[in-house]
Amino acid sequence: MRRNSVTNFFRHKSYINIRMLLRVIGWLLLVEACIMIIPCIAGLLYGERSTLQFLICIGITTGVAFGLMSLRPKSREMGKREAILLTGMTWVILSLFGMLPFLICHTHFTITDAFFETMSGFTTTGASVLNTLDNVPHSIILWRCICQWIGGLGIIIFTLAIIPMLNYAGGMQLFNAEVTGITHDKLRPRISSTAKGLWMVYIFLTIILMVLLTFSDMNLFESICYGLSTMSTGGFATSDMALNEWDSTYIKSVMVVFMFLGGVNFALLYKVAHGQFKGLLRNDALKAYLIIFAVAYIVFTLNIIYRGMVTEIEDVTIDPLFQAISILSSTGITEPDFNDWGPIAVIIMVIMMIMGACAGSTSGGAKIDRFIILVKFLGNEFYRMMHPSAIRTVVINGKGTPQPILLKPLAFLFLNVIFILVCSVGLLVCGLQLKDAFFCCLSAVSNTGLGTDMTGVSGNYNAVSDGAKWLLSFLMLTGRLEIYTVLLIFTPAFWKK
Amino acid sequence: MKIIIAGAGEVGTHLAKMLSTENQDIILVDSDQARLDDLDSNYNLMTCQGSTSSFQTLRDIGVEECDLYIAVTPFETRNITSCAIAKKLGAKKTVGRIDNSEFLRDKNKQILKSIGVDYLIYPENLAALEINTALSHNWARYWGELHDGKLLLIGVKLHQDSDLLNLKIKDLPVKSHDFHIAAIKRNNETIIPTGNDEILHDDILYFITTSKYVNEVMTLCGKKKRVIKKIMIMGGSRIALRFARLFSNNYNIRIIDTNRDHCEYMATEFPECEIVHGDGLDIEVLRQNNIYQYDAFLAMTESSESNILSCLTAKDFGVCKTLADVENLQFFSQAENLNIGTIINKKLLASSHIFKLLLDADESSAKFLSLADADVAEVLVKPGAKITRHPVRDLKLPFGMTLAALTRNDEVMLISGNTEIQPGDSVVVFCLTGTFNKLEKWFN
Repeated sequence: MRRNSVTNFFRHKSYINIRMLLRVIGWLLLVEACIMIIPCIAGLLYGERSTLQFLICIGITTGVAFGLMSLRPKSREMGKREAILLTGMTWVILSLFGMLPFLICHTHFTITDAFFETMSGFTTTGASVLNTLDNVPHSIILWRCICQWIGGLGIIIFTLAIIPMLNYAGGMQLFNAEVTGITHDKLRPRISSTAKGLWMVYIFLTIILMVLLTFSDMNLFESICYGLSTMSTGGFATSDMALNEWDSTYIKSVMVVFMFLGGVNFALLYKVAHGQFKGLLRNDALKAYLIIFAVAYIVFTLNIIYRGMVTEIEDVTIDPLFQAISILSSTGITEPDFNDWGPIAVIIMVIMMIMGACAGSTSGGAKIDRFIILVKFLGNEFYRMMHPSAIRTVVINGKGTPQPILLKPLAFLFLNVIFILVCSVGLLVCGLQLKDAFFCCLSAVSNTGLGTDMTGVSGNYNAVSDGAKWLLSFLMLTGRLEIYTVLLIFTPAFWKK
Repeated sequence: MKIIIAGAGEVGTHLAKMLSTENQDIILVDSDQARLDDLDSNYNLMTCQGSTSSFQTLRDIGVEECDLYIAVTPFETRNITSCAIAKKLGAKKTVGRIDNSEFLRDKNKQILKSIGVDYLIYPENLAALEINTALSHNWARYWGELHDGKLLLIGVKLHQDSDLLNLKIKDLPVKSHDFHIAAIKRNNETIIPTGNDEILHDDILYFITTSKYVNEVMTLCGKKKRVIKKIMIMGGSRIALRFARLFSNNYNIRIIDTNRDHCEYMATEFPECEIVHGDGLDIEVLRQNNIYQYDAFLAMTESSESNILSCLTAKDFGVCKTLADVENLQFFSQAENLNIGTIINKKLLASSHIFKLLLDADESSAKFLSLADADVAEVLVKPGAKITRHPVRDLKLPFGMTLAALTRNDEVMLISGNTEIQPGDSVVVFCLTGTFNKLEKWFN
């Protein structure tokens, strides 16, 4: 008799609505399966054996997706807890299915390697365990880049835009859990239209980038792959030589522009696309982003000149520009001679890795927005030491910030530092050297994907142990979801009824 | 549809929450950021901090393309100003909340319309009218009229003396189609019943019936009609005063309030009512005021808890009809389970009133009544709709949805299994929250 009745709102919130969670994940897997069709087609065009193998992956994913979707939840209610759990689970489960092509098509992969590679893709870290890309089928190379592209703006936001089922309050919370930054701008009243708006900007920019890249020496396939991995500030390459294959100033210039755009708040880009330029001039994060970019360029250039490495004009123009934005936007593509740039360049690089670009962009790191608040807050503190009775607020984008919002980014930055230190110890235990451990940890949490001594600057993680790979995968995810979302799941308070 | 709600007070917040689940674009404006924060992060709507009567704010949120502008701040003049601005900036329809009955007069309405306030909403007035309906049909928990009273929706709580107890719906002792049990509320659940559902003690049954058969429903439920003359009101709130203003000629009203100044104000404003200074929660005070002589007790204080408890006390004193103002929605369902007669909620009344306005703007569906977790809607059947293909019994409607009655050529009739629905009919549908969005599939 109760089957056709709904429970009242008093009954909810006391348990986690696991069926609804799995059902939504089923939908997400279906979306992933649809996306897998693209590399499958690429494989077909290149006449590769991987086409059939991709079909198997699509089959498995679709099967599981339909299995999960057939679950009938007792209620469709999803609270905050479900939203946070769903966000975390989505990234993990989608990575688990996303690694199937690596496992099935490319037999050298162990599960650890495949998971690491997929997670590195989805989180736009761009760290790879592949020693060489020479024998890797085109479809797999494309799949890596697609992973980055989807993960760049966010898997869940992508789904919010296309699945109407999530277009309600629960979807709102998913959005909040996945989008980076302190506060989240809504572009439109409905969450699905906001997500659509963001994706339109993203797709539009990606297509322009691809078209611009086809004008260079790259072939169509490479343009598409670099388009996907650059716009998402991920940085997966198509060959071992990466960009050195072309060494073209044109390609680098185009990529500098789009890596820069990838680091700008997409809500801001959306508004500009709709003719609202007012916010652009008033945006402190954008200003700071430009300033940091400029300072990094100048320091890099001076450093190059000082070390006497100038042989041609590109060495002081496009190369340091490219290097600066590649790190700042957490893309993580490096110049071939970066190892010779010396310790000052490395220090600047570390600072930029911690910082990242603007909130609400595809970049990683702790986000410039938070550092602006920290700096302004500290400025006020110093001022108050001299003038104890002065009342000052932190002014961001021309508006005063209330106290509670102020504390969030400060706490986040503190947590970020502690988290990196603690996890570096974890990597040490897994057998990495001190410098490597710290650097890899930072690189994973900031989603940059650079390495150092052992892993090499271009970021090959094949040498590290399996334990370290799992830990790094976890760090990449935690960094992408801005620490809180993932760590919250591990707190006892989260599970308490 | 783009709807802007100005003012995140109780009514505004509630409306925003409700409408955001209905596939509407909602923007909520308030000058107090703290009120908006929670809504912004938890509901599918957009918020904007700013003054509701600022040109800049209204332009920023795109008032020129909004279909409905609802001003529900607590300040009447501010609402009127902001409606006027919104209308001149291009809002299609505007609704303003007022708390002055003068504005409701027809000739004054015209003036307000000319300056840009299309509709007025006066929640206290709605509540006062609702109270009067409840008192005149005091045997029912809920009384709703459709099509000028031709079609009635009646909610009744069943007690020991009803003939319907422990019967299955299919075994009811009724000839043909005099009424239709559209929903049953049991504990905290609303059930859309099928033939096999049994009627139990303490259920609240929602009947759809025509005015002809009202008495039959009343006798079946074991209820009797009582004439109410003497009313005691606890708390001189705005609803209470509005009620006193409208109906002081029909009833003998005694108002008890704890605030001496307010009592004196009421005494000068409402000379025909008896005003008592005292605490209505104090049993001694009630006894001194001869509560057992009263026909009805209205608990109208600010505190929902006190209202619920004092109604229970009044019941113990033998008052036949009690009525509580429960503004706290969390208590709503609990209060319904208790033995209090009717429950009034200003917010629900105001929001269902605004839903009706939405009907004017958007013809396809109209939710006009929200019970705790079920909705009642009247929907126009479009040609070629899925629902016209078979008689109702063969339709295989989803669980949680029932067709109650229809209007065809101004004729009201109840729907049975054999009814065939035709395009152009307007059908009253009961559905549980969550199934509402399936309506479209069936009716378009």
